[in-house]
Amino acid sequence: MVKNLIKLEILKRVRSTSFARSLAIGIFVFFIGIFLLGYLFLFGLVLNKLVKDVLGKDDAVVFINSCLLYFFLLELIYRYFIQQLPVISLGSFLHLPLSKSRIIHFLLGSSFISPLNIISLLVFGPFAFLEIQPLYGTFPAGIWLTAVVLTSWSIHWFILWFKQRFEDSMTGTIAVFTTLLISLGANYLGIYDMGAFFEPVFTFALESPVPIFLLLTVLILSYFLCFAFYRQNAYLEELSEGEHLQFANKNLGFLSKFGLAGEMANLEWKLIIRHKKSRTYLMLCLIFLLYGLIFYNNPAYQTTSGFSYEFIFVGTFITGIFMLQYGQLFLSWNSPAFDFYVHQKNGLKALVRGKYLLFTGISLLCFILSVPYVYFGWDVLLIHLATFLFNIGVTMHLVIYLALWKPKPMDLNKGSMFNYEGMGISQFLMFIPLIAAPYAVFLPFAYLFGDYAGLLAMSIAGSFGILVFRRISASIAEKIIQNKYEISSSFRQEL
Amino acid sequence: MIKINALKKIYGETTVLNIPELSIPKSQCFGLVGNNGAGKTTLFRIMLDLVRATEGEVRVDEEDVSKGEQWKTKVGAYLDENMLLSFLSPEEYFTALRKIYQLSEQDLSLHLEKFSDFFNGEILGNKKYIRDLSKGNIKKVGIAAAMLGNPEAVLLDEPFENLDPSSQIRLKKLILKEKADHQVTFLISSHDLNHVIEICDRIVLLEKGEMVKDLQEKYDMTAELNAYFNVG
Repeated sequence: MVKNLIKLEILKRVRSTSFARSLAIGIFVFFIGIFLLGYLFLFGLVLNKLVKDVLGKDDAVVFINSCLLYFFLLELIYRYFIQQLPVISLGSFLHLPLSKSRIIHFLLGSSFISPLNIISLLVFGPFAFLEIQPLYGTFPAGIWLTAVVLTSWSIHWFILWFKQRFEDSMTGTIAVFTTLLISLGANYLGIYDMGAFFEPVFTFALESPVPIFLLLTVLILSYFLCFAFYRQNAYLEELSEGEHLQFANKNLGFLSKFGLAGEMANLEWKLIIRHKKSRTYLMLCLIFLLYGLIFYNNPAYQTTSGFSYEFIFVGTFITGIFMLQYGQLFLSWNSPAFDFYVHQKNGLKALVRGKYLLFTGISLLCFILSVPYVYFGWDVLLIHLATFLFNIGVTMHLVIYLALWKPKPMDLNKGSMFNYEGMGISQFLMFIPLIAAPYAVFLPFAYLFGDYAGLLAMSIAGSFGILVFRRISASIAEKIIQNKYEISSSFRQEL
Repeated sequence: MIKINALKKIYGETTVLNIPELSIPKSQCFGLVGNNGAGKTTLFRIMLDLVRATEGEVRVDEEDVSKGEQWKTKVGAYLDENMLLSFLSPEEYFTALRKIYQLSEQDLSLHLEKFSDFFNGEILGNKKYIRDLSKGNIKKVGIAAAMLGNPEAVLLDEPFENLDPSSQIRLKKLILKEKADHQVTFLISSHDLNHVIEICDRIVLLEKGEMVKDLQEKYDMTAELNAYFNVG
């Protein structure tokens, strides 16, 4: 029986849309995954050198132990966003003569087979053998590594429970973000160092195997917490219910001022907050807002005069990530209701305008939210202003223009991260010109007349793009209208 | 009201639709029947300019549907879920349409009042997205949306499918009333012969894209259709 279930699970993974739609993308994603894991492994290999030489800590082991807590906090966050819930396949098993416990055990077990679960092993495995083993011996190194991995696996079960328990409710997201902010903030302000507080747990693992038993208990407990919750709620309506209108019914009233296009922007906004995939993109905006923290106060990017050119890249992402990501799938978002827009008078034109409005609005919001970065110097504000103007004046047109090359349909309710539905090779290749464009304008001017002239050139290019916005948006709408038959038939057939 | 001239749709080698001439006058209730693959939905899609005709044209009040857009305010339609914004609740959807059609709130509430029996209290005031409604209820939303904005013609693809018997009867009454009150032209495709015969003034039978029969007299519709569909 279990064998059959495993066979079904393998078939499901092999035939999943994100995998099978295009072999090329499947291979691409596979290699990306291998690369990422490979990088993590490399990172693990040089971790002890990094700590000692770059950060200048004498005792790498103590330092890593005090950092582990942050690693696990980070793990909580990324698991919360990436980890898929196993309940999707529940409906196809529930009516069969199998005991519910067995189904749940199986679903939970199959969720465990995931690259996320070897990350801690890849990062800390090499460290344990390169750094701990020579100092403390083989046995403590093994114990230490086991303790780390067990913690990571406990988080796996905890997140499965947590995500299902607070699925998609604001409570969950807010809880995750406050955890992150409080711990980082408290540490930064030097109120208390939580890392140092937890350090003894893993130091203890170097001396005695007791923590292993403790952590094993935690692992088992977290598994059963998860199991009990899923077992109790193993009904279709409870585990995979459709969301209700609790938090997603807000209108962006000011948009109505823009007529039909504003109405379309409003509808698009609802589309964004009511679908998992688009919501994730919106969340990414928030995460990318923090992206600057990594770069702006990093000594590696400090220059004596002007600013580091990487900052252009950072600014582009901070002010434009939503448009880059969401815009890539420009029409695919509307694939389930494309006929609706075609059938309205001037519908497609208004749809394009509406999307422009929304992209500009969100970009502006990101820009405003990023103003506090001025703390790191006026340069940063100027860079953000220039990249913001460039984004809405040039990059936005570019994204949309490229996205119209063979749009593909997609199911908006499928999982979010690492879901490549709707992505074709064109969507992957798109990123190259998008990232190159700001530099293509910035670099020549920066070399000839200095950094600020480069920024000025970007701003001027952007402002010019904003001035001719009407013409470009009209020509893009025209292009869609010309191809509407092809687009709508491809959206209809493939779904 | 609607005129079709030398319309052809060809996929590769096969002709899926071939209609030399068809003219539907105002306030006619036009029924379209035929087995699966006869081209009913394709015909509707071409009429709505969702699919490009290989040859020929469809005209609504002398306006070629593939050239202009003026006709879109005159023709309401519900073919399938692709024409709904299923991530909205029914109220939100109607409100969005109201703004697009530039109607007042009163217009909308008057319109929805007509459907209150048909909706049977399951559509409005029910905090659910359209995508979470049952198939029958989704269809009801689509039909009500198609009739919004005082269209002169309404195209409905399989309107009776998935509806419960009482709703089917209510829908028939609604259609007949709209026709009598506002001279609305209805184009209805259906597999339910009884319903079509009951409400339609004219029934066209499609087979592999060709019009095999054009029945305009009520008295011989039943016999003709039974003769065709009875495969024995």
